Amino acid sequence: MNEIRENPVLERIPVDGPCPRCGAEELRRYPVVSEGGWFQVVKCQSCLYSVDREPWSRLGPIQLLSDSL
Amino acid sequence: MTEPARLREISDDEFTAAYGSDRFTSAVILNRLRYAVEHMSTGFMREAFSPIIRDWYDFACTISGPPERGYPMAVVSNSLVVFLGTLGDAVRNAVEEYGPENLSPGDVLICNDPYRGGTHVNDVCFIRPVFAGGKIVTFVNMRAHQLDMGGTVPGGFSATKSNVYENGLVIPPVLLWSRDQPVRSTFSLIFDNTRWGGMLLPDFKSIHQQLKLGEQLVLENIERYGLDAYLGTLTYACDTSAERMRDAIALVPDGDYTGSALIDADGLDDTVDYTVRVTLRKRGQHIEVDLSGTSPQARTCINCGVLDAKTAVGVALTMLLDPEVPFTSGTWRTIDLATPPGTLVSSLPPDGGIMMFWEASGAVVSAIFDALNPVLGEKGVAGDYGSTNTHNASGVTAGGTPWTSATQCGGEHGPWGATKEGDGDSYTVLFFLNNLDPATETIEHDAPVVMLRKEHAIDTGGAGEFRGGAANLKDTLWLSAANHYLSPFRTKVPSGVGANGGKAGPNGAMWFFPPREGARELLGTSAEVYAGSIPVAGVLDPDSKAPDPEGVYHYFASRPVWRTEPGTVLRCLTNGGGGWGDPLARDPQRVLADVRNAYVSVEGAARDYGVVVVGDPHHDPEGLRIDEQATAELRARR
Ligand SMILES: [Zn+2]
Repeated sequence: MNEIRENPVLERIPVDGPCPRCGAEELRRYPVVSEGGWFQVVKCQSCLYSVDREPWSRLGPIQLLSDSL
Repeated sequence: MTEPARLREISDDEFTAAYGSDRFTSAVILNRLRYAVEHMSTGFMREAFSPIIRDWYDFACTISGPPERGYPMAVVSNSLVVFLGTLGDAVRNAVEEYGPENLSPGDVLICNDPYRGGTHVNDVCFIRPVFAGGKIVTFVNMRAHQLDMGGTVPGGFSATKSNVYENGLVIPPVLLWSRDQPVRSTFSLIFDNTRWGGMLLPDFKSIHQQLKLGEQLVLENIERYGLDAYLGTLTYACDTSAERMRDAIALVPDGDYTGSALIDADGLDDTVDYTVRVTLRKRGQHIEVDLSGTSPQARTCINCGVLDAKTAVGVALTMLLDPEVPFTSGTWRTIDLATPPGTLVSSLPPDGGIMMFWEASGAVVSAIFDALNPVLGEKGVAGDYGSTNTHNASGVTAGGTPWTSATQCGGEHGPWGATKEGDGDSYTVLFFLNNLDPATETIEHDAPVVMLRKEHAIDTGGAGEFRGGAANLKDTLWLSAANHYLSPFRTKVPSGVGANGGKAGPNGAMWFFPPREGARELLGTSAEVYAGSIPVAGVLDPDSKAPDPEGVYHYFASRPVWRTEPGTVLRCLTNGGGGWGDPLARDPQRVLADVRNAYVSVEGAARDYGVVVVGDPHHDPEGLRIDEQATAELRARR
């Protein structure tokens, strides 16, 4: 009686426009964790240039109920 | 995007403008801060009551900078790497949630939630703000494993718990000391929900004193060199790591590289195994690590959180690319971890319980080695023994005294893989742990157990120009009835993978041997011995029950608790370390020494290395010699 479990894949949302560094039309928005914690980035998928990099919520995808107090 | 100026090349004036001090003074301050965390560590180890602190060194100390600079973790002790890797984020997350404005001099903030700070609930973070001029200027921190944090299994080390509620007590950021006064309600919360509080209390008091010591040493530096120089040094330390890691990454060819590692099963049943998959995308000085395709979070608490996965990425890249890079938050400056939520290595509450976290994040290390070793060629590093194969047991002696034995009598210690520098070490801990080995005398003192064997197993290092470390073979005789929890996770495929053409080390297993008539003599190690065993774990021959890669898998939690009668022997054999380079290129003199030292048998020397050794290693070890001609002929035929 095993449930079918798909392996999760990170969603990368397409963003219009070319990469200002390499010109590739491959910008995507998604969260990353790095030095300084979580960020929502818009990155070129060809050269990894970060067009935009904003701090995201402290625990990434996890929200605390106590944050709603 | 301009490249940052190189630290060696900026002028002295530029350095002082950037870091508030001259180069020499910054180096002095940094060394004094490294001394501070080591001094805190030594003090704690000297005073600790808990065996896991005293004998395993299961703690770490760090220094982080203030909130307005982003809590840079600039200084770490020489200790448990999985703690160091997560402490930077743990301090930031705990302090931000509690509110830095709510902290006062003399406070100790604690937090043990794996999702907020990494690792598992037994590892409590102790965070002390250091004030200068009425402001928080730094945090001195310690994370230390507490013997018990509640939950359904004494001590907690078990793969069988299904969610965070069964797992143990979760402590959000709360004060344990307020202005150096104990907060009684927090102590009661812990003591009312955990076992063995009598051991926790004196260790908590010692931690409080070590944090005060760290605070005092930081303040002495600020008084002597000034606040600007102190804060600048924290920035400089992180910038140094970032620059060295950027340089190391730049040496890897641009490309997309994939790798994987397998975990045998979780604690529910053996119908599901778990794969960690990584894709490393490397461009210039940047690496993005994507864990997409990794198995969903496990049904029991063998998961790790994303901060542990991040630690594993930092450790793997440091080990492979430049082991000299100082480990700070700057290590990750040009590394992004991109992971879908809800995998084995990015699990979510409440169902994705986290206990055996280092096993899951260790698989991330293995997967990164798997991805990069083929690219790195001779810079590749062979794999280690893969799992701490943790053993925990408890019971009551015939005289009625309760006892417990935690992480001492399984396959906790084992070998590393070989590198271009030489053979793999044989009896250490996993690549990213860095602990001590408990002394046999204390193990036998604390529980009704006799350590019969703790030895290198022959022919278990992966063959190579440099040989993998030997697997560890450990036999323990249990004098009382006992309840055992066993957690070997990596027996299906080799963890000790080869590098640069080296061979993988063979896999280990675990067995119980029922009490024998009046028997206290050693169990043999030949294949026939295993027929009389009850297999616990491993891939074994169906008839002989000896290790056999073509055999059948035995599931470690087929009995969630293994109950044994007095006189039972537990045998744990770890996986072997991987070899580096072509085995036929190994210097025959090294093979001869291996036969002399019982790393390799006479048969193994011929089979694995093409070296013909003549003589009797047991009865005339000094008389061993190489048959040069037979060796040349044998190697020529390969
Ligand atoms: Zn680009």
